[in-house]
Amino acid sequence: MYEQEIVQTLYKKLLALYPQTFKEQLGESMERTFQDLWKEKRQTKKDLFGFVLWTFIETAIGIFKEYLLLISPGVIMQTTLKTLGSSTFIGLLLILPFIIMEVVNRRNFNEDFPVVLFFAMWLNLFAVSSILLPIVQGKWTSNPDMANPVPTQKNTLLTNPKSAALISVVLILAPGILPLLNSVDWLSLDRLFNGPNPEVEYLPGLFMTVGLTLFPIAAGIIAGRPVVSTLRAGGSLFAHPINLLIVVFILSTFAIGFANLIIDQWPCFIGVPKCD
Amino acid sequence: MATENQIPPLTPAVFHILLALSTEERHGYGIMKQVEKDSQGKVSMGAGTLYGSLKRMLDSGLVKESDKRVDPEMDDERRIYYQITGAGATALAAELARYQRIVTIAQQRKLYPKTFAYDV
Repeated sequence: MYEQEIVQTLYKKLLALYPQTFKEQLGESMERTFQDLWKEKRQTKKDLFGFVLWTFIETAIGIFKEYLLLISPGVIMQTTLKTLGSSTFIGLLLILPFIIMEVVNRRNFNEDFPVVLFFAMWLNLFAVSSILLPIVQGKWTSNPDMANPVPTQKNTLLTNPKSAALISVVLILAPGILPLLNSVDWLSLDRLFNGPNPEVEYLPGLFMTVGLTLFPIAAGIIAGRPVVSTLRAGGSLFAHPINLLIVVFILSTFAIGFANLIIDQWPCFIGVPKCD
Repeated sequence: MATENQIPPLTPAVFHILLALSTEERHGYGIMKQVEKDSQGKVSMGAGTLYGSLKRMLDSGLVKESDKRVDPEMDDERRIYYQITGAGATALAAELARYQRIVTIAQQRKLYPKTFAYDV
């Protein structure tokens, strides 16, 4: 009886993590259902621990999903996740010829494989693809995901053109706070990204660089959302000029970044010794 | 009224919930048990999936909360019963018609029941 109280209290606390509206509408009903299931498992003497573990994990996933749906309507969120998967694949596919060139043309040199270089190349392509793909899909296809039965989409922060543009600008500018802190000596950027010993590769610095790159990617995706929605509804590409401008700016930055890497590393790809 | 072609296909969870509610009003636990029964134990729906789907079904008008309450001595007020709406029944009928068509095609191609056009 004591363990029942503990588990039910914990489940109640877990349910409290649901978004407010969900909690108010379905929280008590879920709590009651959990009690019913607990009672059933006790009576049938089934694996109680397994049941509790599965229910807690499944409910936690449900909570996470509700928050995702709260910031973005279901159809768009599912489409975005699909796009990110496709972009990962497209990025890998496009850097493959350069990987092959690197491996074939530099096999006789005693060098380490430049993982960081190819990761940077992939990241640029991933960024371009994940921002551009939804716009191209929006232009040429109707809504591809009709499996969700929700017929209407709410106007959220991320689908409203003005707020989407504002959020994306904030995301673009956010990493700029680091050089600002550096300039007033509140933070050492060199130490932050290169670690205490600049001679040794500093993994946290690499992660931070990748993390900061995700900001403009997210900004591009968010700014592009209203453009995609308008295109899907049969509207013009230029219906939201500010959003489009932000998207073009971010796309150009990543495309130029990729082109610079190719130009810079081209001698290495074609097998020139001491190319760096 | 929306025609069958205008109604998008349902997700498996939504389909099973509507099927469970097609005969009578049920509460969350009752829906879970009915889904298990309908699927002969093959579909076991967790609370997160069930109530996440119910939330969206309530929002889109496929189901609604029922006024039904059993004897408070036997039950408590937190038990909410759900009932299928007209829109929910239409969506379920459209989905069943889609399944029916697939089964008919499978039969025409001798893929069902257990008759294959080639050795497997």
